[in-house]
Amino acid sequence: MARGFQRKGSTYAAKLDDAERGVVLGLMEQVLDLVAPDLQPTTSGDPFDDIVAGLGSLGAGVSVAGEDQVPDGADALTERDPALARLLPTANREDEQAAAEFHRLTEHSLRTTKARNLRIAIEALAGAERSRVVLTEQQAIATVVALTDVRLVLGERLGLHTDEDVERMEAMAEELDPDEPVVYALAVYDFLTWLQETLATAMLPDPAGRED
Amino acid sequence: MSLAPVEQEEASAGADASVDVPWITLVWNDPVNLMSYVTYVFQSYFGYSRAKAERLMMDVHHKGRAVVSTGPREKMEIDTEALQGYGLWATFQKDE
Repeated sequence: MARGFQRKGSTYAAKLDDAERGVVLGLMEQVLDLVAPDLQPTTSGDPFDDIVAGLGSLGAGVSVAGEDQVPDGADALTERDPALARLLPTANREDEQAAAEFHRLTEHSLRTTKARNLRIAIEALAGAERSRVVLTEQQAIATVVALTDVRLVLGERLGLHTDEDVERMEAMAEELDPDEPVVYALAVYDFLTWLQETLATAMLPDPAGRED
Repeated sequence: MSLAPVEQEEASAGADASVDVPWITLVWNDPVNLMSYVTYVFQSYFGYSRAKAERLMMDVHHKGRAVVSTGPREKMEIDTEALQGYGLWATFQKDE
């Protein structure tokens, strides 16, 4: 049974067994493939992995087709992959030209930053001794951000665009065969949500700060 | 609606025309980002107090978006890039 992250002195510790770490690591590696500059995802042969990579079908009425995912006025970036577009969203909703300029200037550094966080998180999780995961402050920062990017990609693949979508998916999963890939994907998503919640809560800075 | 007040201007007023027209950084609601994480990001990146970070987070959650910083365009673009680096849906625009 997994135990979420808790602050232990200057570190953050959790208990995740081999299977749990394997799932998290596998997803982080896929998102790294997606986001790292100039890398294209490749088919893994595993249906669940391919769903996450955007190469397989979720079925059960969930569309991963591009025309259903790409918002109006899509630029080249959003046409490439909706999950990548979610990681690098439009930065100006009023001025298309300013948004395009922002993408041009920041895409590489954003992708580099996200890839670096994922690599640090992967290394930290892979280095766990048995089921005990211990993160330094820097590893924790990279991991809490990496978990966000993984959940954003998985959420995009599951079609979670509004708060209501989440409730709709949870209700749908109740009705489906537990072996359906989408049910498994949703269970993984819920696990990652729980794990990230424990880490983010443990990392909240001291309440004092600037009010200006 | 109570939103983030204008930040202290570091540049001397009037020295740069762009300072006269403030820009804002917005964060938009999404179903994936956690309330605890959004609060963590606002505290960590901006140095805001827990109370202010939670107030902004609740505005994002309930109103769909919140102004999280105000200032010159260049600074708002830096904030937008940083917040997108954290996985938040941040945008910048002229304050109108």
